[in-house]
Formats: sequence, structure tokens, C-alpha cells
Amino acid sequence: MSVPVPPEVPVPDTDDLICARCDVPLRMGKVQASYMGQTFPVELPVCPSCGFVYVSEDLAAGRMLKVEQALEDK
Amino acid sequence: MTFSDSRLVLANTESVCPDCLATVPAIRYAEGDTVYLEKTCPQHGTTSTPIWRGLKSYFMWDASPRNRSRVPKPATVVHEGCPRDCGLCPDHQQQSCCVLLEVTSRCDLACPVCFASATRKGEDIAFDTVEAWLDTLMERAGGRVHIQLSGGEPTVRDDLPEIVALARRKGFSFVQVNTNGVRIAKHPDYLEALVEAGLDCVFLQFDGVSDDVHQKLRGAKLARVKLQAVEACGRAGVGVVLVPTLVPGVNTGQIGAIVEFAKAHMPTVRAVHFQPISYFGRVPAPPRPETRFTLPEVMEALIAHEQGAIRLSDFHPGSAENPFCSFAGRFLLGDDGRLTVDRDAPVSCCGAPPEEESSCCGSSHAEEEHSCCGGSKDAGEDHACCGGSKGAEDAHSCCGGANEAEAGHSCCGGATAHEEEHGCCCGSTENATAASDETAAPAAEARPSADVARARRYVADQWTLAETSNDDAPGLAAFDAVLQRRAHTLGLSAMVFQDAWTLDLERLRQCHIHVMSPDQRAIPFCAHNLTDRQGHSLYRRHTG
Repeated sequence: MSVPVPPEVPVPDTDDLICARCDVPLRMGKVQASYMGQTFPVELPVCPSCGFVYVSEDLAAGRMLKVEQALEDK
Repeated sequence: MTFSDSRLVLANTESVCPDCLATVPAIRYAEGDTVYLEKTCPQHGTTSTPIWRGLKSYFMWDASPRNRSRVPKPATVVHEGCPRDCGLCPDHQQQSCCVLLEVTSRCDLACPVCFASATRKGEDIAFDTVEAWLDTLMERAGGRVHIQLSGGEPTVRDDLPEIVALARRKGFSFVQVNTNGVRIAKHPDYLEALVEAGLDCVFLQFDGVSDDVHQKLRGAKLARVKLQAVEACGRAGVGVVLVPTLVPGVNTGQIGAIVEFAKAHMPTVRAVHFQPISYFGRVPAPPRPETRFTLPEVMEALIAHEQGAIRLSDFHPGSAENPFCSFAGRFLLGDDGRLTVDRDAPVSCCGAPPEEESSCCGSSHAEEEHSCCGGSKDAGEDHACCGGSKGAEDAHSCCGGANEAEAGHSCCGGATAHEEEHGCCCGSTENATAASDETAAPAAEARPSADVARARRYVADQWTLAETSNDDAPGLAAFDAVLQRRAHTLGLSAMVFQDAWTLDLERLRQCHIHVMSPDQRAIPFCAHNLTDRQGHSLYRRHTG
């Protein structure tokens, strides 16, 4: 599932995530996740400096995985 | 063999004589709106059997591609010819999708109709043999085939939860149990143990909604038991597929009622999978034309029941097996209680028609899709999904960057099991190439073809319980909406098995549902169960 960099990064701060590249705290931001032609507007931790989006392991192996499986078909 | 002017010959094929099971030439022909299979045995004469009532859908299904894949590691050689060399032999044209492990020949019912001819006095297969089956399949049949625990009635075994756990421990990602529901209805602890062990789906014999139907087909009044079984599955958190055996004059008039029962018990009930009766094993009487019920008739009954809300074009043939073996459709249940086709469902795993699918993965597009991840770390722990920490690498998590994308398993990331399952899809280009090259050496590691991998995913997705997230996360509502939608989908499908009258060897060679025999061969389902007019088996006598 792809998560392109959002054009603008709003508040709030996330608690304890720091961008490894920029060494600044991540903030919750609106991003567009996409998979198999469908897009999903969601809020995820984003680096306000470089725009990288953080997807936690729980999310990747949980909701996102379930959504991917739901979209796959014969 | 002579032909009347009213016949339209559609195809030449091969079949067997219903009396002696000798392989004989056959034709498929149309007369009126019905397609027949006709063959002549030099000793026993000519038989002609209706196999498809509805020329419009026949031509629609006939236009579907015949997806074939080479058997990765054949277990037998071609000696006597189809259908006598099964194991699989090198001439078989499709890999295993779902494999039945008949873990017992015992049963707690004595059904008048039973393809396995099971009795109350059967025997259990040794646990070691079951383990050997799983090892053989993992090594030979293309990795994570779907496992169906069958019988006999598999739930007569007290150690069935241990078998489920064994299959999951060995890496099989989809395990279902084919059951009459009697034990799981009465003993919820037993069902919970199965689910705890990793059971994904209950494939529930469900012939109708009234006791008279069960009395005729199963020799017992089971309507209440079936309801209790479905309710128990709901409480235990496991998906149910209702499996009616359709017999003209007995329960074909209940097709609509069965669908309504399924709707009323969603999301526990995930699908209804109809199986028109085939005349092998134990049946009350040899077939007559009027005791045949063909796939188009099932679709017509479903369309009529939904009063035009669904159409013939909402159904499609299976893409891995021969198209004349099955149909399937996925439908959304509306607030008004009616079904409409799930139009948002992509047509293949990568959103492209099956014939274009092989190029779906590992492309530059995949690289772009995964350029999103990396660069952040969890300040509290050295463990992040994205960004290349050791933990992330070990977990094969969804975000990997260019390297993983180039490796070809980036398009559908996620947890290890899903990744590897999808890796089968993405790895299919090589396999498809090898399959078309007769001189190519067998793959060192048996991996499934694209169409088989796709069929496995489709079944696993539709037949397992629709999961939803329990934790409240408003920012992820768009994801949750997809999951909620899945809980409102119902699969409607059917598969017609072939007996000695209807067996078409072209179809049999493309069979992807196989049964393990004690000597570690995988026998295509319809060959395994094939019996002649007197009930003599081609394969079961060798395996009993």
C-alpha cells in the first residue's frame, strides 16, 4: 500500500517518534494511502521536515494487511 | 456413433465407460438449449448425459481461458493414461489449490448420499500419516496449499484440534474442516479447541432449511443441529461456508431459502457453495437425465430468487480450474435485504484481467509504491516497521523501500504469511514461463502458479471470518470502512463434480482439488471418488 507525501502537515505531535533522518518529532498528518487503485484518506505520523510517513508494525500487520486482503480478489 | 441433424457438436474429448471405466472417446454436443456428453464403449454401448442446461452461459464459460500450470514435482509416470496414473502425473495440467486430507473413514451419520461411502465402522488415519501428507504437500505441491480436513466425518476424531495445529505449525495458512456439524453443534468446547488451534473455516454440509430434506439426504432430522452449528461458529469466531448438495426434487426448491438463511447469519456465514449431486460413492439410484442439476440451473435459481437484482454476468467461472467445473460471485447485502454484485471487487489480485496479471508485480510502479517508507524510528525502542531496523527486516513488514520492491514482493506487503502467499502470485511469471517450457528443469522449490495462487487467495479471503478492528481510531476510518464492507459480502458459488457418466478428461486434467492417499499420492478429486455403475472404485480400493 503506498502512502505518498502529503502537501501539508498539520498538528498534533505524536508522543515518542523521531525521524531518523531529520531528528525531529513526527506529527500526525493527513495522508492518502492507496492500494490496487483505491485511495484511503487516513491520519498517520509524518515527519514535518522530509515528509516520510511512519507505519507501525501493528498497523502494517493489522488493519492495513486486512484491507489489502479484502481488496484482493480472484 | 451417429449424429442427428438437430445436434451441434461442440467439442471432442475423452471420458470413461460408466460400466467398465475404460477410457473412451467422447463428444460434447448441444441439442436444444442443453449440452450433453456422449460416449460409446465397444462393450457396453452408448451413453448420453446432460451436463449443462443453458447455451448462453455455455458459450460465456467456454470463452474463458484454460489456465494450465505444470505440476512442479510429479509423483507418478504416465503409464496407463488418464485417469489411471494419478498421483499427480506429468500430464496433469494444474497444480493443487485445495487438498483434502481424509483423516478418517468413520462417520456419526449414515447418509443415503455419500461420495465417500463412509460408515460408522471406519478407521482413522494414523497421525504420522497425516504429518507425512503435510510434509509431502509442502515439498511437492506448491507450498501452502489449502488444507481441507475431510473424511468420513473428521470431527469424530478427538485429536482433530492437534491436526489443525500441526498443519498451521507447518506453515499451511488456510485450514478448513468439512463437517456435518453434529459435534460442533453439541460440543462448543471442541469447536473452540479447533479455532484455538488455527481453524479458518467450517465447510458445513447444509442441504436445506427443513428436516424433510435432511431426512432424505442424511437419514436424520438435522435442521436444528445445523442452526446450532452456525450459531456456535459465530460465538467461536470462525467463518462458515454452507455447502448444499443439490438433488432435483429434494432440495433444489430450497436454494432461495438457503440463501436467506445465509443472509440472516452473516457475517458468520461467508458463502454458500452449492454442489449439484454427482453419482459416485453411495447414491440411492443410478442417474437419469431428470436427476441431474447443472450449474446454469443453480445460477438461474439464484437470479430468480433475487428478483433480478443479480444477473448472469455477475457470476464468473473459476480461473484456475476448467471453467465448466464452477461458478462464483461476490455480493453485497443491502439494508433492504437484497444482494447486489460487489462491483468494487477487483477482477484479479493486481487489478488487471487474469491474462495481464503476470506483469503486475515487481515493476517500477511497485518501487514507487514503497518509496513511502523509511527514515523514522521509534524513540522508545530500536524497532520500527519502516526504516530498516533489524526487527523490521526480520518481520518482513510492509515497508521496505526499493530493494524489497525490486525483489518482487513489495506490492502486497504485510505480515510474513501474507507476503509469502502473495509472493507466490508475484513469483508466478517465472513459474508460468517454466510451465510452458517442457524442457525446463523442475523448480527446486515447489511454488504455485499465478492462477492457483489467486484462487487460494480468493477462497481464503471470502471464506474466512471478516475481521474488524476493535480499537477506535478515527484517523483510520477509511481502512475500517473497507473491513466493514467485507463483513457485508456473501459469496455465492457452485462446483459440479464429475462421475462416471459426466467425466470429461479435459476437465479432469485441469482439476486443482486433490485428495491425498496413504501412499502419498495426490489424486484429483473426481478421479479419487470415481465409481462405476456397480459402485466399484477406481482409486479408493487401492487406498482403503
